[in-house]
Amino acid sequence: MTTELIVTRGQGAPKNTRRGPVSGRRVRAWNQILVYALLAVYGIVSLYPFLWMISASLKDSHEIVFNPNLIPDNPTLNTLIDTWQRLDFFAFFTNSVIVTGATTIGVIVVYSLASYAFGVISFRGRTALYRFFLVLLFVPAVTVLLPVVLLEKQLGILGTHFGLILPFINGTAPLSILILTAAFQSVPRELREAALMDGAGEWRIFASIYVPVIRPSLITVALLTAIPTWNEYLLTSVSINKEELYTLPLGLRGLQSGAILEYNTLMAGALIVVIPVIIAFIALQRYFVNGLTGALKG
Amino acid sequence: MPSITLPTSTAAEAAPPSQRGRGRRSAKRTSRNNLTGYVFIAPAVILFLLMGLYTLVYGFLLSFATWNGFTPTWKWVGLDNYIDLLGGSAMVSPVILNAAVNTLWVIVGLPVITVVISFPLAILLNSINRFAGAIRTIFFLPYVTAGIAVFYAWTYVLQPQGAINSLLTMLGLGTLSQPQGWLGNPDTALPTLIVVMVWSAVPVAMILYLSALQSVDTSLIEAASIDGAGWWRTNFSITWPLVAPITAVVVLLNIREALQGFQTMLLMTNGGPAEHTNVLGLEAYRLAFLSNLAPTLGLSSALSWLLFAAAIILAFVNLRLFRSKT
Repeated sequence: MTTELIVTRGQGAPKNTRRGPVSGRRVRAWNQILVYALLAVYGIVSLYPFLWMISASLKDSHEIVFNPNLIPDNPTLNTLIDTWQRLDFFAFFTNSVIVTGATTIGVIVVYSLASYAFGVISFRGRTALYRFFLVLLFVPAVTVLLPVVLLEKQLGILGTHFGLILPFINGTAPLSILILTAAFQSVPRELREAALMDGAGEWRIFASIYVPVIRPSLITVALLTAIPTWNEYLLTSVSINKEELYTLPLGLRGLQSGAILEYNTLMAGALIVVIPVIIAFIALQRYFVNGLTGALKG
Repeated sequence: MPSITLPTSTAAEAAPPSQRGRGRRSAKRTSRNNLTGYVFIAPAVILFLLMGLYTLVYGFLLSFATWNGFTPTWKWVGLDNYIDLLGGSAMVSPVILNAAVNTLWVIVGLPVITVVISFPLAILLNSINRFAGAIRTIFFLPYVTAGIAVFYAWTYVLQPQGAINSLLTMLGLGTLSQPQGWLGNPDTALPTLIVVMVWSAVPVAMILYLSALQSVDTSLIEAASIDGAGWWRTNFSITWPLVAPITAVVVLLNIREALQGFQTMLLMTNGGPAEHTNVLGLEAYRLAFLSNLAPTLGLSSALSWLLFAAAIILAFVNLRLFRSKT
C-alpha cells in the first residue's frame, strides 16, 4: 500500500475506463438506463432499514401501532425530542463522545509514534515486533473479551470509561500500524537526513516534518477507529453497569428491554446513534474509502 | 473490541519495513537509533503487554481449566475442555454440534452471496459516470452504521406486522409473508440473519472490487470486445479471473466474520427460536458471560481458541487456493 493511493486517488466518481466500440447509440442508452435501474434497486435495499427508522421515529405511539405505511399521516418530532430529553440520550451521547474521542486521540498518538519508529528509524528487533503486531489481526474479539474483563476487574478499572478506552486503543493496533507505517515509509528519506544534519532531534523531525505530511493517513486511521468505537457493543455491554456511564448502544438496548417495547422510541434512539456516523462519513468519505481499500489490499 | 474488519491475508505477509538507507553508520548513531526507536514504540508495547499478551496467555491457560469466575482457584483439567467440545460430552457436544452446523451455513452463505451481489454491483458502478459518487456513498452506509442501531431497525421491519411482510402482501406475494415474523419462524430465522449479514458485508466487498476494476488493464477488455465477446463473456471470462485476488480477500474476510462474528445473532435473535440461530461465537460468549455461576469459563476459552485456530487454517487454505489459480 502506498500513501499516494490515499492522497491522490481523491474524491470524485470512478472513471469509466471501459468503453466498447460504438455499436448503436440507442442500445447504449437503453443499457445505461438498465444499469441505473439496477443500481437504484440496490440503493433502496441499502437504505431500506434507514427509511423505516426515520419513518418510525416520526410517528407517535398511536400511529406506530395503527399505521403500517412508510409515510406517517401526522409526522411529529415529539418522539425524537422525548427520546433525546426524557430518556437521557443526551447523557448517553456525551458518554459516547468521550469514549470515542479519547480512543481516537489515544490511537493517533500511540500508533503514530510506534509507526514512525517502524517506518523510519532502524532499531534492533524492528521487523520482528512489526510482524508480531500484525499477527494480532487474527485474534477474534471473543477470545480476548473474557480475559480483558477479568484483568480489568483485578485492576479495578472494570466498568469505567477508562476500562473501555484502553482495550479499544489496543484493539486497533494492527490496522493502525499497518496504515501509518506504510505512510511514514513513503515520505522521502532525504527529509530526515537533512534535518538530522541541521541538528534537529528525532522528536522535532517527527512532529514538524512527518506528521504534517501524512495527515491524510492519520485522518483515515482516526475514522477507522472512531466509527467502530462509536458502534461498539460487546465489551461495553459486559463491562458497563452504571447507567450514568452508558454509551449510546447501551442506551438503545435499554429502550428495547423496557417493559413496553415502543418501536417509534426505539427507532428514534437508533436514528440518534447512526446520524453522527453518517455525517462524519459523508464529510470525510474520501479518506475513508481510499484508506480502507489501501489497507485491505495491502 | 471495536471490530475493525481487516484482511488478514495481505497484512500478515506484508513486507516488513524495508531497511532502506542503511549505509555505514557509526556505532553511536546505531545505539542512539535503537534507544529512540524503543522510546517511540514504548506506549504501544506497554499497552499491548497489558491488554494483549497478558489476556491472550491468560485465556489460553484458562482453556485447560474449569472455573466459574468467582472461586479463588481454577481446577486444572488438561485437555478435557477441548475433548468435551469435540464430541466427548453428552451435555456439551450436542449444543456445540448444533451451533457448528449453523455456523457452517453462515460460512457458506455469507461469502458466496456477498460475492454474487458485490461483484456485479461493482461492475455496474464502474460503468457509469454520473452520480457514481453519490451512489457509492449510499451503498456504503450499511458498513459505517453496522451495529446495534441497524440490527434493531432490521428487527423492526422483519417482525410479524413489519414492513417486509406488508411489502410482500402489497406485491401480491402474501403467501410468502411470515405470520410469525421472519425471525420468529425457525425455518427462516437463520437465512434471514445471513441476508442481514450480507447487507452489512456488501459495501466493503463492493468497494474492493471497484478499486480493482479501476486498475484492470483496459486493453484486454477492448481486445475482447473487438473479438466479439459480449458484456457477459467479457465480465465472466476476462474480468472475473483478473479480480481473483480480491475475491480471495472478500471470501477470507467473510469467512472470518462468519466464524467469529455473532453480534447479529446476539442482538436480533439471541440464538432463538429454539437455538436455530445459535452459532459458535455466540455459544462462547454465553459460556463466558451468561453461565450463571456454572464453571464454564474454561470451556468458553477453549471454544474461542478453536475458533481462532479455525480462522487461521481457513485463511491459509483460502490463500493457497486463490494463489494457485492466479
